Amino acid sequence: MKSWARYLLCAVAGIVAGSGAAVWTVKSGGFGSQARIGPWRTGTDFGSRDAGAYTRAVVARNGLLALPAREARYYTAASDDEGRPLEGRCRYRITGGAAGGAWWSLTLYGSDNFLVPNEANIWSVGSAALAPAERKAWTILAAPNRQPGHWLPTGGVENFDLTLRVYLPEGGGASNLSLERLPRIARQSCAG
Amino acid sequence: MRRWILPAALGIALAILSGLFLLHATPSFLMGVAMGRLDKAGVNLFAHGPLASDKSRAIVRPSPDLAYSSCPFDLSKGPVLIDVAPAPAPYWSLSVFDRRTDVAFVRNNRDSRGGAIRIALAREGQQVPAGIEAVRLDDDRGIALVRILVESKDRFAAIDKARRASVCRPL
Repeated sequence: MKSWARYLLCAVAGIVAGSGAAVWTVKSGGFGSQARIGPWRTGTDFGSRDAGAYTRAVVARNGLLALPAREARYYTAASDDEGRPLEGRCRYRITGGAAGGAWWSLTLYGSDNFLVPNEANIWSVGSAALAPAERKAWTILAAPNRQPGHWLPTGGVENFDLTLRVYLPEGGGASNLSLERLPRIARQSCAG
Repeated sequence: MRRWILPAALGIALAILSGLFLLHATPSFLMGVAMGRLDKAGVNLFAHGPLASDKSRAIVRPSPDLAYSSCPFDLSKGPVLIDVAPAPAPYWSLSVFDRRTDVAFVRNNRDSRGGAIRIALAREGQQVPAGIEAVRLDDDRGIALVRILVESKDRFAAIDKARRASVCRPL
């Protein structure tokens, strides 16, 4: 092989490998991937000038226009408490309590980062929808079919994730919620 | 084999450089795509979107609990006034993002004690009238975003009416 061909081959291979690795890294990075707390991932420097290139790229892809930590904290889970990926054909019991902020909401997204189609047109459950007494201990059922109580439809999608938004978090959002204060996600059954 | 050492070194160097380039370019690129979608409703103008649904595709991971009003701004011809009217909701905020996705400004209704939020977005050197708080940006383009908590869907009509008093326009 001629010398120029070796250089060309290696240059092209290098660019393809480097670009591919960057794309894969950003795609596989979850929204808020600085800290893992059980199944939840979170971060504190969204929208910050201090954010590194990786965080900045992942947030741009998975949570463009996210608010800084003092305004809102975002916790995202793509797996249940046992570490199994969240599947749209399964039924999950999600339980939690006060989330340490002025209000919170739990939203279900498809793997394309958008809200999933469902005939009930329900995509989230928030603290505003709960009676005051219920806010200290609540249960949400995520499932493809209608459920009693607070239901988050999965739309039957293959995989989904959940984002807990805590607005005006206590302590200015500087610290993460502990595992004990984050919702628990228990898989109960799966269809098919 | 020795003839491959320098080409391989070149390949490794280009792999690192191209990876870093892509990482650094991704936010600006995706912000550009988002602004391109929002620009269709007008630049230096608030667009008041409906509550997010599975049909909402302009911005990833929208919150269905919030009413969003967005103003893609362009400071190339001068400062832009953002005047956010109070909304009948327990939470609302204004955030300003530059082209790199950095937050240049954020203020909520608690910060403003429930009153309107009035700022002028401007580049360094651009004149801002006295009495208007100036927010300086490093770039001409970006997005100003108003979020309003909608506690229940029957509150949306009143919130939608109130937010239409908000203004985004060249000064």
